[in-house]
Amino acid sequence: MTDVIAFDHVAFRYPEAESRHGSVSPWAIADVTLTIPAGAMVLVVGPSGAGKSTLLRCINGLVPHFTGGTFVGRLEVMGLDPIAAGPETMCRHVGFVFQDPEAQFVMDRVEDEIAFALENAAMPPPEMHARVEEVLARLDLVSLRHRPLVTLSGGEKQRVAIAAALALRPRILVLDEPTSQLDPQAAEELLGFLARLGETSGLTLVLAEHRLERVLDFADLLVYVSGGAAPVIFGDPASVLSQVDLAPPVARVGKALGWSPLPVTLAQGARFAVDAMAGRKVDDALLRRDRGDEGADQQAAARPPILEAAALQVAYGDVPVLRGVTLSLYAGEVTVLMGRNGAGKSTLLKSLIGLVRPQQGHVWLVGRDTAGVAVAVICREVAYLPQDPNALLFADTVREELNITLRNHSLEPSQVPVAPDALLAELGLADKREAYPRDLSVGERQRVALAAITVTHPKVILLDEPTRGLDYAAKAGLIELIRRWRAAGLALLLVTHDVELAADVADRVLLMVEGRIVADGSPWDVMGHSDLLAPQIARLFPDAGWLTAEEAAAALTNAGDGTT
Amino acid sequence: MHPLAWLVWLGASAVATLAMRNPLYLLLLFAVIYVVTDVIRGAESGRGGATTASTDAVTEPMMLPVSPIRFALFAMGVGALINGLISHFGETELLRLPEVIPLLGGPITAEAVVYGAINGMVLATLFATFAVLNVAVPTRDLIGYLPRAFYPVAVVSAIAITFVPNTLYQLRQVREAQAIRGHRMRGLRDWLPLFLPVLIGGLERALQLAEAMTARGFAAKGAAAPAAHTADIARFASIGGLAAVLVGGVLRLVPGAGRWSPVLVVGGTLLVAWAIWRSGRQVNITRYRRARWTMGDGVMVVGALLALVPLFLWPATRDYSPYPRLLWPSFDTRVGLALLGFLAPALVLHLARPPAQGERQ
Repeated sequence: MTDVIAFDHVAFRYPEAESRHGSVSPWAIADVTLTIPAGAMVLVVGPSGAGKSTLLRCINGLVPHFTGGTFVGRLEVMGLDPIAAGPETMCRHVGFVFQDPEAQFVMDRVEDEIAFALENAAMPPPEMHARVEEVLARLDLVSLRHRPLVTLSGGEKQRVAIAAALALRPRILVLDEPTSQLDPQAAEELLGFLARLGETSGLTLVLAEHRLERVLDFADLLVYVSGGAAPVIFGDPASVLSQVDLAPPVARVGKALGWSPLPVTLAQGARFAVDAMAGRKVDDALLRRDRGDEGADQQAAARPPILEAAALQVAYGDVPVLRGVTLSLYAGEVTVLMGRNGAGKSTLLKSLIGLVRPQQGHVWLVGRDTAGVAVAVICREVAYLPQDPNALLFADTVREELNITLRNHSLEPSQVPVAPDALLAELGLADKREAYPRDLSVGERQRVALAAITVTHPKVILLDEPTRGLDYAAKAGLIELIRRWRAAGLALLLVTHDVELAADVADRVLLMVEGRIVADGSPWDVMGHSDLLAPQIARLFPDAGWLTAEEAAAALTNAGDGTT
Repeated sequence: MHPLAWLVWLGASAVATLAMRNPLYLLLLFAVIYVVTDVIRGAESGRGGATTASTDAVTEPMMLPVSPIRFALFAMGVGALINGLISHFGETELLRLPEVIPLLGGPITAEAVVYGAINGMVLATLFATFAVLNVAVPTRDLIGYLPRAFYPVAVVSAIAITFVPNTLYQLRQVREAQAIRGHRMRGLRDWLPLFLPVLIGGLERALQLAEAMTARGFAAKGAAAPAAHTADIARFASIGGLAAVLVGGVLRLVPGAGRWSPVLVVGGTLLVAWAIWRSGRQVNITRYRRARWTMGDGVMVVGALLALVPLFLWPATRDYSPYPRLLWPSFDTRVGLALLGFLAPALVLHLARPPAQGERQ
């Protein structure tokens, strides 16, 4: 088998690092040596900021040609040296798909977007039209060809981006976290699509991805980038995962129970799961008590809800978005709202805080109707984290972001129960107080935004897609934070596509379909048997009642009371 | 329909509007343009009706910011008001403001009011003309007709078209994000929290886009990179051509030298055109989208040009002035009928539309 990509002791550092820190600049990637054979599907994983994107951008010469900086080592792609050839030449051999499909669109219609690379390559028009037809058919986009890009769904947009990258018939397709903006079903579809594409066309696929559980099924090889000076770990998925502390739930259970060889996909784990469950009887009642679901309904009857909405109806123009939504949030309870893109989840959150005023229905905050109350007033009690926390941040320092919120509410730092500095320390940002917020990592930026909205000490926290773009470490930090808020008696409502997050933190799960809440119950009741929403552990041990790796491992090691 | 045909129609209609002051003709032309707008809108909604727009994104199709009729009423009202108050000529006095008020004091005449309204009418007709273009031809189609030498400009303009709605969407998000942390608009300083994140976000997006374009071979210097001297030749030619046009223009003012002027102007223009064509050949790209010239486009161009002819053949009724005494404007039937030629695109679109198309999509 021929290798199409060969890294030989490659290292790279960005130019800013050189000027700002003098000679002790950190390497974005250090000492990468790996080879990728033709036709392989390669998964690049690792924490955010570890250099995954940098590694991918070397393959088509964007690094160092677009970024500047210092490149060391040898790199060969399709027999060419991308460092010498540059992206102008490499674009014929390497297609590149970026994280955010919208940020990479140049034109505004599907066909024109695909033709853009061909126009640049000065392809004669008859051939160009044939090529566009071919790519449209291959990516199943024929029916969308005339559509404006803004009217497409996230999955469709990413397919157009792939089509545009494949127009020049490259032999290698590089994708930088292509599913991070998609809901689970769209992500699943896209990845399945990529796997088929790889099989039928012999394309070499190199894919960076945060959510391992989605992609391991399709991967032939795994590259683990840990950042800093540590060398990359490279090999088949099972051997790499056994060396790193980063694994999908099935592998975590496998590690805890000593399964060997370590299963990394559901198919591989199923055999062990059947053995482990043989002869076991699951005590359902015990399990429910462990998860703290017991008597949730009685609790609800006894205590008044903090935030309550009844029969909310919202329409944008003629399009109804919420068709009569009723929900209650209680102190010390984490409610998770799930559903496909466009189901109305974000609109529901916005209508709870008055950013969207419902045409019908009411919202009560601690028993008070919020109709006609200014958003600014509601948000002192109800913190809301929008999907893109960047929209919040504009101050020069992290501490200033908190002060701005307080000034907006005409509060002195001494008037809030937790002083801003203490709050930052609580959120693990103590040493970032003077940092420029937009220089921070995705996870840190989200924490700054959270600090900026919770500094008023609200009673309710609403989070819209909080795990988007977070790596495993940042996600674990967020889960801990959510649990802490829950223990402090706050009411939390999370909108998320992340079934593993829901399994980890939810007390109650709501499922929304086309503007209505169609399911409302304990996590197991709503997610356990769902084709779409079941987390990996529920799929691995159907009917056992476990949702997370920790639960399953604890129960299977026969620890007496099975708590984690 | 072909973008160039639309440009001819637009040019002819604008020339007609600017060339006449007769309110009857203006009214007729305005009505004709309005009918064309209406027919185009019908065609557009039949075509793009079946889009399943996501509710969050900005998906509004290209629509007019203001209805042409509303704009016409506004422009005529404002024109009449201002001219009526300021210009005190004319014989038909409507009322008289005390002379002590500076500028406004004096007689308010019907003539001045009508004159102002006619000016407003000209403006409104021009507005309606450009509104038609806005609905009929997506800007990106027009950009496609920039000379090849300006290819980077064309791409940047194409991006700008999507950039504006994106930025507005971004602004809305930032406004919401700031509102939820208690931000309120009280003074000029309160714009900063809205403006800064949009600006920074815009720059970040621009960088991402630049990277994506590089990855797809934009501005790639292919095998046929222009030799330095050919680029220089084109540059000198365009400078020389522009200089010739300028000198030609100045010479017209010099007594006796006037006959050299047209030669220089035409020669200079040709030189510039050659330079643009020459440097366009160095830009090694091809175009995906090329509209085809159809029979309908021909009809449209002929109709628009024919509509202009009588206006200049029989100019007697073209101009109209209400001063010194308001009189009913005269109307030449030949000119009036000819103006109906601007209806050509409505006719073509109406005939070209198969009745079942709307249902099929």
